[in-house]
Amino acid sequence: MTVDQSPAWTALNKHAEELGNKHLKDLFAEDDQRFDRFSFSAAHCLADFSKQRISSNTLEKLIQLAEQQRLPEKIEALFTGEHVNTSEDRPALHTALRQPKEIPLRLGEADISQEIHSSLERMETLVEQIHNGQWRGYDGSPITNVINIGVGGSDLGPLMACRALNMFTSAEIRHIEVHFVSSMDGSQLARLLNKIDPASTLFIVSSKSFSTIDTLANSNTAREWLVNASGLSSELISQHHFIGITASPTKASEWGIPEKNQLHFWDWTGGRYSMWSAIGMAIALHTGNDNFRKMLAGAHEMDSHFRHTPLTENLPALLGMIGIWNINFLDIHAHAILPYDGRLQHLPAYLEQLEMESNGKSVTLNGDKFDYSTCPILWGEVGPNAQHAFYQLLHQGTESVMCDFIAPALRYQEYGEELQAQHQLTLANCLAQSRLLALGDSVLDNADNAPLHKRYRGNQPSTTIILDELTPESFGALIAMYEHKVYVQSVIWEINPFDQWGVELGKQVATSLLDQFTDPVAAKTDSSTEGLIRFVQQQRREVKS
Amino acid sequence: MKIKVYGADLTAWVAAASLARAGNDVRIEGPEAQQSKPLHDISALRDEPGLLDQIELQMVQGRLQRTHTVDSETAIHWFALEHNQFETAEQIIQSLATSVPKNLLIINQCNFGVGATDQLQAYLNKNHNQAVVYIPNSLQEGKALQGFSHPKRITIGSDNDWAITMTRSVIRPFLQHIENLLLMSSREAEFTKLAITGMLAIRIGYINELANLADQMGVDIDIIREGMGTDPRVGSHYLSPGCGFGGENFNQNIARFSDIFEKRGQNSLLKTVISENEIQKELLFKKLWQHYHCDLTGKTVAIWGASFKPGTANIENASSLKTIDALLAQGVQINVHDPEALGNLQKHYPSEPLIRLCHDAYEAVVDADALLLITEWPEYWSPDYHKILESMRNPLIIDGRNIFDKPALEMYGFTYIGVGR
Repeated sequence: MTVDQSPAWTALNKHAEELGNKHLKDLFAEDDQRFDRFSFSAAHCLADFSKQRISSNTLEKLIQLAEQQRLPEKIEALFTGEHVNTSEDRPALHTALRQPKEIPLRLGEADISQEIHSSLERMETLVEQIHNGQWRGYDGSPITNVINIGVGGSDLGPLMACRALNMFTSAEIRHIEVHFVSSMDGSQLARLLNKIDPASTLFIVSSKSFSTIDTLANSNTAREWLVNASGLSSELISQHHFIGITASPTKASEWGIPEKNQLHFWDWTGGRYSMWSAIGMAIALHTGNDNFRKMLAGAHEMDSHFRHTPLTENLPALLGMIGIWNINFLDIHAHAILPYDGRLQHLPAYLEQLEMESNGKSVTLNGDKFDYSTCPILWGEVGPNAQHAFYQLLHQGTESVMCDFIAPALRYQEYGEELQAQHQLTLANCLAQSRLLALGDSVLDNADNAPLHKRYRGNQPSTTIILDELTPESFGALIAMYEHKVYVQSVIWEINPFDQWGVELGKQVATSLLDQFTDPVAAKTDSSTEGLIRFVQQQRREVKS
Repeated sequence: MKIKVYGADLTAWVAAASLARAGNDVRIEGPEAQQSKPLHDISALRDEPGLLDQIELQMVQGRLQRTHTVDSETAIHWFALEHNQFETAEQIIQSLATSVPKNLLIINQCNFGVGATDQLQAYLNKNHNQAVVYIPNSLQEGKALQGFSHPKRITIGSDNDWAITMTRSVIRPFLQHIENLLLMSSREAEFTKLAITGMLAIRIGYINELANLADQMGVDIDIIREGMGTDPRVGSHYLSPGCGFGGENFNQNIARFSDIFEKRGQNSLLKTVISENEIQKELLFKKLWQHYHCDLTGKTVAIWGASFKPGTANIENASSLKTIDALLAQGVQINVHDPEALGNLQKHYPSEPLIRLCHDAYEAVVDADALLLITEWPEYWSPDYHKILESMRNPLIIDGRNIFDKPALEMYGFTYIGVGR
């Protein structure tokens, strides 16, 4: 039996028939205590669910579904290192990465807490050496540019965190510039290499498997650039200009990274859950070791909340369950992430991977197909900018969309009044949009008289998440909240959020297509692929002649 | 004359000792915390050749006293405070304004920046002959007493006739070798002071840049320098390339002048000079690093000279510190010799097992893989090359001040690396 045939699910289906057609403006009209009833706080975050199309009854039934799916036990299983990643038969212990050193965590024979902290301390030593100007390039210059080469989880998390926490970079370490390079085509790398000094540039090659073709292609180009600039051997260059962060030390050594330049993490750290490990070195380099630790502490705060708080007040659980309500019972399949703070500009891209790569699945843990919907399409943009782009569709299009509005309560406290006024303007816009999306033009007095193209139907549900301030701690907590939300939903849907088999086959097919561009007698593919290859070859011939 | 000097650093004590030596009755007043500190414990005084002796002599003869009392009979007050003590200066001047209502002369030697003397003057009544005069501090560490007593040039910054006449009478004993006595407004004198310091820094910065280029182009900077120096428009002062300049006053003044530019939204040439100079301080390390193919594991390095320039024990902002830090980070064994600065070095690196302080220059080079010459003390100019050659494990000399003769050293069998040649 799949979950959609279970009693709790059936009860929710029935409840949705009763409540589902009710407009948010009526829900607000009937109950002026919605904010008090449906907003919850923990670990620097307040989540207001009152603009969701729910009643108290809905929450009760959702909690029943969660309990039916044994969510509390599954949370414990996640934290204690059970093999929640069934298809790869291993735990998913990103929570262990932010656990204080004193708390032991046994995994088989080893206390992984010690391993985690010794890896963290080794990373901090390297970071300090670079900050002190004592990591030397081939001509003896101190390093001033660090380029993080990685893709997916090895790129999105560190990039997002660096941009989000930029303000916390102290003056002493501002001279170190941290750059990110991910794209396989080398376009980001080529642009950078044109303007920086090779002797003072250090590359961090981040790859869990150390076989990611995108990352290795960029790393090879980078090493070639250094070898040409210095006239030194590739071995010497690898020793002084490359750090490898990986769960596959052998592969990293084969590529040429000496062991002393390697930082390791573990197969039980999923790529998209890895910025808390040594993969976060770019974050520590950009914002300082102390801020990296604060980010871990904030995430740990959310972890403790998630693990020990009853589901009725559990932020990640509620966020996840309300998502289930929207997706499976209100039939909403689009989710917009709308930060009202430019520092969180990379949050949408990060959550796209976190949610869609984790829960974009259609087979249960037992390997069975099912019929219900799982992860919706996620996308997003910095809110005020998106207002001038896709909000038209949110307000007047034909799609139902659920939105997450995210903003800090306080900002620019230590700056001038102008900037504080800008923040207030931004918050006003944030609240105006969620209000209008929920209530439609009923917020006006005589909206009924307007022509149809000026009407706002409303009833688009949203969650508003307010951080007290954007700090390393609150940022860590926010991201941990979303990680756990994803896990909650996976438990309900009975899927494995920690594998990603859907991204494997494309890599293999790409490898097999490589020869097609040069080998005239390569194996047959399909008329479209062959036609496109023919076109490219023709262009090449024309350039040559 | 009765003169009171305010300040606790080298400038104050040099002024006090020199004024006392000229027959004045001098009182010196520093911050309370320093007032009772034994003079031998003040490193700036200890490091300056001849100064402690002169102070003691003047004290024994009764012309110089440390005091904290206010004496309303004293009409001449000499400000030699530190650059960040402007508020102290304001407090002193406010109290003097009432305690010495008429005929009060304040000679301000402090580097408070452009316009500071005018700000101090605002507390006084010009019509009652209460005046502040600015005399730029041209102290050169290592030659401070000589510089004060026999200056070639003095600038008096004031537009008050009474004050100028009074000032002349105070400095009269020191004018025997004077070539230029300039009069200008205090504001202009303050600006000039900073402008000169900046100009010198730019010259050094430029010759260093040329030297680094000469290195890459395979020409000898010494020859280029000679060629440049003979052009009268250029001249040869401050045209020696090397591994960076240091010292407390010089560096601070440039940094503060550069800040003035920046605050007015102008990109400063000086800012570049300062940051390039910091890079230049690591030049010898870089040359060593390249020579040993980026691997200094197990190496021993001898350093000759740690003070920021010869003739002083001061290591403030010295190239030696940056070099030692870089070598320490690579785990290199460092043997340092300096005729005077070892005590200060010991304080700077209180318990560093990789640093050995050598009281004999030849002891430092035993088993060394390189000798780095950082400060050009006279005793280093013509050493016993055979002795060095026999002692070193690898006969590599990296000369940060270009004091050695390259062909001669190569003839002896050394590998020689200079700055720009």
